[in-house]
Amino acid sequence: MAYNWNWDVFLQPTATGDDTYLGWMFYGFKMTIALSLSSWLIALAVGAVVGVLRTVPNRGLSGLATAYVEVFRNIPLLVQLFLWYFVMPELLPLAWGDALKQTNPILQQFFAAMLCLALFTSARVAEQVRSGINSLPPGQKNAGLAMGFTLPQTYRFVLLPMAVRLIVPPLTSEFLNIFKNSAVCSTIGLLELAAQGRQLVDYTAQPYESFIAVTLAYLLINVVVMFGMRWLEERVRVPGYIGGK
Amino acid sequence: MISMNKVSKHYGSFQVLSDCSTQVEKGEVIVVCGPSGSGKSTLIKCVNGLEPFQSGEIIVNGVSVGDPKTDLAKLRSTVGMVFQNFELFPHMRIVENLCIAQVKVLGRSPDEARAKASSLLERVGLSEQAGKYPGQLSGGQQQRVAIARALAMDPICMLFDEPTSALDPEMVNEVLDVMTELAQEGMTMMCVTHEMGFAKRVATRVIFMDQGRIVEDDSKDAFFEAARSERAQQFLAKILHH
Amino acid sequence: MHEFDWSSIPGAWPFLWDGMVISLQITITAILVGIVWGTLLALMRLSSIKPLAWFAAAYVNLFRAVPLVMVLLWFFLIVPTLLESLLGLPRGSDVRLASAITGFALFEAAYYSEIIRAGIQSVSKGQMAAASALGMTYGQSMRLVVLPQAFRNMIPLLLTQGIILFQDTSLVYVSALADFFGAAYKVGDRDGRLVELLLFAGAVYFVICFSASRIVRHYQNKMKVA
Repeated sequence: MAYNWNWDVFLQPTATGDDTYLGWMFYGFKMTIALSLSSWLIALAVGAVVGVLRTVPNRGLSGLATAYVEVFRNIPLLVQLFLWYFVMPELLPLAWGDALKQTNPILQQFFAAMLCLALFTSARVAEQVRSGINSLPPGQKNAGLAMGFTLPQTYRFVLLPMAVRLIVPPLTSEFLNIFKNSAVCSTIGLLELAAQGRQLVDYTAQPYESFIAVTLAYLLINVVVMFGMRWLEERVRVPGYIGGK
Repeated sequence: MISMNKVSKHYGSFQVLSDCSTQVEKGEVIVVCGPSGSGKSTLIKCVNGLEPFQSGEIIVNGVSVGDPKTDLAKLRSTVGMVFQNFELFPHMRIVENLCIAQVKVLGRSPDEARAKASSLLERVGLSEQAGKYPGQLSGGQQQRVAIARALAMDPICMLFDEPTSALDPEMVNEVLDVMTELAQEGMTMMCVTHEMGFAKRVATRVIFMDQGRIVEDDSKDAFFEAARSERAQQFLAKILHH
Repeated sequence: MHEFDWSSIPGAWPFLWDGMVISLQITITAILVGIVWGTLLALMRLSSIKPLAWFAAAYVNLFRAVPLVMVLLWFFLIVPTLLESLLGLPRGSDVRLASAITGFALFEAAYYSEIIRAGIQSVSKGQMAAASALGMTYGQSMRLVVLPQAFRNMIPLLLTQGIILFQDTSLVYVSALADFFGAAYKVGDRDGRLVELLLFAGAVYFVICFSASRIVRHYQNKMKVA
């Protein structure tokens, strides 16, 4: 198999002439990071609320939270993405839908992708929050209530501070997942890392260089996130409490 | 039958066993005792090579355990071992627990293995439990099954690693009774245990260990009547006054 | 508001069904190959032979660090060329299904191997010692004592991973292979009824995955009692 390796391809000006192919890659990299981080923040906030609701004694609230988690967990991410991108604007009141379609297409793609990743991940975060709270000894909640805390105070001062520390390790893998899952958003034309990789193949016919570069970029993200989360784990470790299990 | 010569073992800089030497003759019942962390469990696990050791030599029935050329699986199939936590295989019925190694290691036919299993279960008084799973038996029953499982291999000697320490007090005796019977039949045994009543009844010799060393290696009477070392006297005083 | 018109679904039924068959084909093959290869990887990773352990660790970490979309794109790039030269197929023959199955199987094996490794480590060390004390070799102890228990503990996790895998098969969309989702998208695009077809596809995936996860949970609860 004769393949002409040509790593200089990255330095060549693009077909459209306004950038180098390396510049395209870098744009995609930034897009992946921006998309993943913004989605992650929303996912943490929504997931924490839903996860807490799953553990409260109120049947209606916990049922609602369970339904939320089941819906987002049992539909493929790609299908969810297409629903947000193609279907949601159609289901909105006409004026809103039209307004949305008037906006910058890149913003539309980014908005749909962010919403999709955020809510998809929030269901997973919620599961971790729930299992973190449930893994605490049941006596903890009773101890909180016995001291005269209300239920919300018991969560605020007793259960959540400990649960949050317990779920840092499992959240690491969800955090890694959001970067990997963001690659799915290339399917709606959002020019993140994987999409730029494919675009490069189309323009340069140097598939191996392009895919290797993209793969290395994902590995880099992975390594950085892992070190960051390990550092965080050290910071929040409770002396004398050997993690969760 | 078992001879140990200057056996030493360390984990990194921590010395678990230092220069342990002793002899066990055929038909002897040796009780190994000592405070926790004294290395007695490690010592007994060295005998069938479950714990590797760095220096010294252990010969079991003419075979050197530490020799890299030794077929350890074959050696172990001739030495029975009973564990503190029974270690029955939870996914197999009681009778299967007794048969699996007979068939897969010794190459006995399933029928032969089954016959052997039922006669041993009868001997430990558990014939009715043959079709149950380990999780459905009490701790004392599980440990008796574990002894039967080891005996099914027709071992030339038996090693017991604290066989009664994980049991509720009311179940200790049913296990000790089986062990006593076995000793009286002339089985060569090495038992790590704190049951001094058992030691007084059936032991021929008592080994006392402390900090990885064999401190006393005496006949039973000499040990109980006149333990020489202060450590052993302290240990006996603590354990007998309970 | 959008006016719904579901009429294009009944006529497209056979096409959608063929798509579902492809989705299931990929799922089931990838589960089977993934579990077998994943078990081998887990055993290598736990082995005392260092090069094997390193290889398995590198394999697993690499596949787990890269997005599935990227892995699939790699396989659509490499496998056709490989198959063409290995089997002497004419250039440009349709090996997308084979590529997809290979990609999924090798990718999922990395995830399965982590589940299986945890399962093996969840079996207490005493079990291995007891098996060795009875004279079993390492292979016998693993096969007869440790793995059966490990797999029993792992079944719910393996099945849950299977459900995730089934959802992930929709990503073969990147190769324009008509799996269930690809078929639904094509029908919607053709008839100008994308909204209905996408909602329909979402509902079908939800019903299948939700029921499957209920069954797994039921099994899990039954196991806890036993």
